[in-house]
Amino acid sequence: MSNRARADAARHPTPDVGSAPVRVLCLGNDLLADDAFGCLAAEHLRRRVAGSVDVVFSTDGGFSLMDHLEGVSLLVVIDVVMTGKADPGTVSVFREEDLRSAPGGSPHYVGLFESLALGRKLCLQVPRDVVFVVVEAADCLTIGGAMHPAVRSALPVVTERVEEQLADWGVAAAA
Amino acid sequence: MTQPTKTEPDGRHGRRITIDPITRLEGHGKIEIFLDERGDVERAYFQVPELRGFEKFAQGRLAEDMPQITSRICGVCPTAHHMASTKALDDLYKVEAPPTAKKIRELVYSTFMAEDHALHFYFLGGPDFVVGPTAPAAERNVLGVIAKVGVEVGTKVISMRRRLRELITLAGGKVIHPVLGLPGGVAKRIKPEDQARFQEVAGDAVEFAKFTLQIFEDVVLKNSDYVNLILSDAFTHRTYYMGLVDEANRVNFYDGSVRVVSPEGKEFVKFAPRQYLDVVAEHVEPWSYVKFCYLKPVGWKGFVDGPESGVYAVAPLARLNVADGMATPLAQQAYEKLFQTLGGKPVHHTLANHWARVVELLYAAERMKELADDPGLTDPNVRTLPTEKPREGFGIVEAPRGTLIHHYQTDERGVIEKANLIVATQNNAARIAMSVEKAAKGLISGKQVSDGLLNMVEMAFRAYDPCHACASHSLPGSMPLLVQIHDPDGSVCATIRRDSDGNVRRE
Repeated sequence: MSNRARADAARHPTPDVGSAPVRVLCLGNDLLADDAFGCLAAEHLRRRVAGSVDVVFSTDGGFSLMDHLEGVSLLVVIDVVMTGKADPGTVSVFREEDLRSAPGGSPHYVGLFESLALGRKLCLQVPRDVVFVVVEAADCLTIGGAMHPAVRSALPVVTERVEEQLADWGVAAAA
Repeated sequence: MTQPTKTEPDGRHGRRITIDPITRLEGHGKIEIFLDERGDVERAYFQVPELRGFEKFAQGRLAEDMPQITSRICGVCPTAHHMASTKALDDLYKVEAPPTAKKIRELVYSTFMAEDHALHFYFLGGPDFVVGPTAPAAERNVLGVIAKVGVEVGTKVISMRRRLRELITLAGGKVIHPVLGLPGGVAKRIKPEDQARFQEVAGDAVEFAKFTLQIFEDVVLKNSDYVNLILSDAFTHRTYYMGLVDEANRVNFYDGSVRVVSPEGKEFVKFAPRQYLDVVAEHVEPWSYVKFCYLKPVGWKGFVDGPESGVYAVAPLARLNVADGMATPLAQQAYEKLFQTLGGKPVHHTLANHWARVVELLYAAERMKELADDPGLTDPNVRTLPTEKPREGFGIVEAPRGTLIHHYQTDERGVIEKANLIVATQNNAARIAMSVEKAAKGLISGKQVSDGLLNMVEMAFRAYDPCHACASHSLPGSMPLLVQIHDPDGSVCATIRRDSDGNVRRE
């Protein structure tokens, strides 16, 4: 995390989170059509949320996500998904336990969940609570593709969901 | 990552294969199995989501932006794309980087390879070999590995990985967005105080690699069941192999000539990056967007092995197979032991990739140490300014998963007219399909599908570590697997699906 975020986190301790920061991790890839949503969300949220919340955009995948988990107490992840079961732009909120019970789906993959599980097993400081705010995407595979208008329009709803969650945690969210 | 073709109806067979929408929530691998009239396996394929549109996207952009652009495309191995692209720019601008710049590039690259290989061994391949191929699915995961090797080892792996990444950041900017490479050199020299840090971490990396090799020997080699599995016919294909070698035909990740050996282990061809189109061609199946690379001088004879078929493999085992040895002493010992144990060169057992990866981890660490100790590393001359007009550039490196090719053509201002990438998984695509087919043939007969198909099929492709580029930060993070079995008329007669929660369903 940045020094600024660290300093801010120290200045604005809340009873709920202690000294470790609250982070909004926006995942995506600004070159890949709807996958650029994470980048858009990060830019927007940086202007909206207070300094006690660390907003990060990352194109990292796999185990590299560990770099964004360590030293964080509460985490909101923003990402796009393609379930094929909802219209593009549909916003859903999941908690970690909604998505899977235990790592074991594939022995061959280490992603966010496996990194979290591993971090806990090794007693590293990783978020104890993770909430996912996800947007249904239409296309995440075309390099240089345009963002679907409905995905772009999801930004206010996503912002609202993030702010609700931060309020739930007792984190002062308004900038 | 060449532009995939669209999926069209196949006029010959009247089959239409619909590529399932790639679910990011379930960024899955998909297996297609086609049955013949008797209900036996005629053909099986494996496909992962593939990015599209790269060529079009690259057109009209400045070639000098490509090291940044291509490294941002893939969140899994950005450093490999960055380095292949940087080397393509050297070639494009006909400029040679100063010796120190080359050392810095190779040092950073070796650090990246060490990190990636360590991660793969412990956390990705580890579930199969450290926990065990027959262990219950619930234990065959990264936590199972920790349970087996201990929390202390887990902490050691995490710490080593973090320190290796810090070095990459120190020399070349963020790991995920490297800014190191420029045509004719690197953006930043290494200062004497930074050299000391490289030396310290490199020394620890060598110890870490030795320790990892020991774990491999204790856990895998001392278990005859594992060794028998590696040697079993189910995971064996006698194909050609491809990889980069130095002037003494030793493994090199960063630079050299591309060497291809035959299934008998003889040198078939050795070529400079500029000649890759004389050797590598792509076969397209009408049903799929996947392009299957093969050796042009041998020709495409279908999904078969042997010297008459142009199918070849890349990745750690292929690199060891094409080389006459390793350039560092401890890795050389480990290399010799591998070939002695597995019956000489070349080794055709796919699962030996896991072992080869540990040998390469040792090489990467030793090479890091050599370069970190080099007195010339801190020389301030790290750039030769390009003066020639650009036209065409080729850059090849060995990515963790195999040979990676970047090829650009530009106008006189360096604006891209045409760009082509061949990534490791494309080089391996035909052999991966063959492995999946072999596993499927053993488990499907007369339309009856045996239990255990999923596990065997997955073991078959996992050793290649196929790149799941776009599924890489999918939620929930695991890779669900979908198997579709088709009747001769193309209709789907059975579907087996393993969901992200690990549950297997048959439909």
